[in-house]
Amino acid sequence: MPQVKASPKTYDVIVVGSGAGGGIAAHVLTLAGAKVCMLEAGANYNPATQSDMFKWNYNAPHRAAGSKAKPFGYYDATLVGGWQVPGEPYTSAPGTDFMWYRARMLGGRTNHYGRISLRMGPYDFKPYSRDGKGFDWPISYEDLAPYYDKAEELIGVFGTQEGLENTPDGRFQPAPAPRAHEKLIKKVSDKLKIPCIPSRLAILTKPLNGRPACHYCAECGRACAVNANFASPGVHIVPALKTGNLEVRTGAMCREVTVGTDGMATGVSYIDTKTRKEVTVKARVVVLAASCCETARIMLNSKSTLFPNGIANSTGLVGKYIMDTVGADVGGYLPILEDLPPSNDDGVGGMHMYMPWWLYKEQKAGKMPFSRGYHIEIGGGRNMPGAGTLGGSHRVLGGGYGKAFKRDVRKMYGANVHFAGRGEMIPNEQSFCEIDPNVVDQYGIPVLRFHFKWSDDEILQAKHMQDTFKEIIGAAGGTVTSVGNISRGGEIIHEVGATKMGESAKDSVLNQWCQAWDCKNLFITDAAPFASNADKNPTLSITALGWRTSDYIADQIKKRNL
Amino acid sequence: MDVTRRNLFQILGAAPAVAAAQSQAEHAHPAPPAASAPAAYKRKIFDEHEWRTVHVLCDLIIPADEHSGSATSAGVPEFIDDWLDFRKHEDGDGNLAAGIQGGLAWLDQESTRLFQKDFAVAAPAQQTQILDRIAWPARASAADRRWASFFTRFRDLTVSGFFSSKTGVADLPYLGNKALSEWKGCDPKVWAVIEERMKNGYKSLAGEVKPWTD
Repeated sequence: MPQVKASPKTYDVIVVGSGAGGGIAAHVLTLAGAKVCMLEAGANYNPATQSDMFKWNYNAPHRAAGSKAKPFGYYDATLVGGWQVPGEPYTSAPGTDFMWYRARMLGGRTNHYGRISLRMGPYDFKPYSRDGKGFDWPISYEDLAPYYDKAEELIGVFGTQEGLENTPDGRFQPAPAPRAHEKLIKKVSDKLKIPCIPSRLAILTKPLNGRPACHYCAECGRACAVNANFASPGVHIVPALKTGNLEVRTGAMCREVTVGTDGMATGVSYIDTKTRKEVTVKARVVVLAASCCETARIMLNSKSTLFPNGIANSTGLVGKYIMDTVGADVGGYLPILEDLPPSNDDGVGGMHMYMPWWLYKEQKAGKMPFSRGYHIEIGGGRNMPGAGTLGGSHRVLGGGYGKAFKRDVRKMYGANVHFAGRGEMIPNEQSFCEIDPNVVDQYGIPVLRFHFKWSDDEILQAKHMQDTFKEIIGAAGGTVTSVGNISRGGEIIHEVGATKMGESAKDSVLNQWCQAWDCKNLFITDAAPFASNADKNPTLSITALGWRTSDYIADQIKKRNL
Repeated sequence: MDVTRRNLFQILGAAPAVAAAQSQAEHAHPAPPAASAPAAYKRKIFDEHEWRTVHVLCDLIIPADEHSGSATSAGVPEFIDDWLDFRKHEDGDGNLAAGIQGGLAWLDQESTRLFQKDFAVAAPAQQTQILDRIAWPARASAADRRWASFFTRFRDLTVSGFFSSKTGVADLPYLGNKALSEWKGCDPKVWAVIEERMKNGYKSLAGEVKPWTD
């Protein structure tokens, strides 16, 4: 048996995870005066000294190409992580093709993510009421709106006031002006009656709380050394540490939530990843924010006499209804953009314009072959050259070599555009995770086994994406150069829903405060509580919902209910 | 222009944190001795003979011109050799490398059959006679189709290796990767060109583009 080392101190709250959900919980709770112990499975991370911004792709191995160890490129901020993490396997049931991305580092996936920050709209909280599919949330847009305000004001989001259907505006900083290809695509979209508006990203265009405005180097994915974009370490954790109320333990791989004879959580046990020894920590409240599926894994592994199926799992719903985002991508070549006067197209790290879903009325009227929407992300411009730059030139030029070919390829630079659809998946019975009966990770912790299936709603939605993007490219006088099929489950890295919240203890794991029905001092602040997965990327909603939950916890501690 | 802007940062201290981070990043990774270190490069895939053919082929695809040097002067053979080795490890097989090596072998076989010489030492007109058969995939004969596929792959490696090198970045040019104090959006000069093309149509690399209609 491994030696169990007990930590003598009792904290008010243990927070498992340090990403968007763990970060906001630690931030809000320490500022409210709670003593918090944060556990992070990976290493410490300080973007000020570890960011690779301003480095050249030509100075990196293989021109900074992505690899299994660094799927988003050599300079990506993720220290240890990807769809495969060494020593931490997961399995898939026969017929399932699921990819599970994890980032083992302080701040988790917030260090490298796309910073797309879209509010869910009123329809998105009540999808079942609207079209009879999936589940309603136990809260409405009005419940979360004040927390969206707070979240945007803390992390800093730019955008514009548009007043579009089910696309709520927010407390925005000024949006950066579009690049050439984005201005052009906006014109095409106007023609096709598809709304194209400034994007909404968690990147500062004005200084905020001591953080400087963006310097427009376009490499947010490498992490920002000056915290001009949002990431949990600089925005949530540093101010939390300054309160003196936060202790962060890195290399702490959570195994289970421990339970007392009264059925309340007493704390957690984790494996010290360096020594492989088990350590227990005690607290009045446990907050899980390990990421949707990792949180489900911890709960399912937390078996006891009182909770034989895992903690807070009397319904058997822990791990069920996992959702990802539906993705399909199309690339195009727009001749009108070739051989333009050279310009610096960097801007912020990501698109300056995007297209929100626009066919709500047609869907409501039953005129569409699928039930939920998607938004369109735009790529293109004179990006920093790297591996793959200007590949596939024969699709435009027919072929060639020599001086004339070199001249023509040069002219193609900046004329390629890219459209990525990101759409809503409806939860289904075939998509869930459970504990694999045989396989463990290097810490001796049983691993997850995934089941995943798209329904016709997602498959037809992806087809609509492809058709729409081809239409846009054609209307811009361009040619289609690549068409991507529907993404694999987990590929878009938006897993949500494994511990759904609901109105009743009979058909949900959590109540409207993301508090376990079966264990009142256990809360979840990552994306596991989501009852649906709108096309609005989850991080902003994790932040707003996590803030609301943390306010509730702080209030309940004050009232001595916890 | 942007060098001036960066100097302004340092002089005026407008964004000291950014400037510090930028100079730190530059110091942390001193540029390796340009792309000129072929002597120091240790080959992982190609043998001596293939290496010579790769050099010749790379420079036939991207020769020096009035903008910039040739593919070999930008270190493209080293990039390709290293890339094939990288893919071998990433993909778990050497199929990409094998296909490239097989194509190089065919160039020699075909050149020997026609001219009794290896491809690398054939006369320029003899080299182009072979390349003209495989450099335009749609025009290649059924028998040459697989060699056209090889050439497309090799050309993509050469193009990508060249334009992502320091030489290629300056050739395009890519003007970013620097701290700006302000983002102004699309340059009006650039937009004027686009508007002119929308109005009057445009003769593009991919053919005639008609004027836009609303």
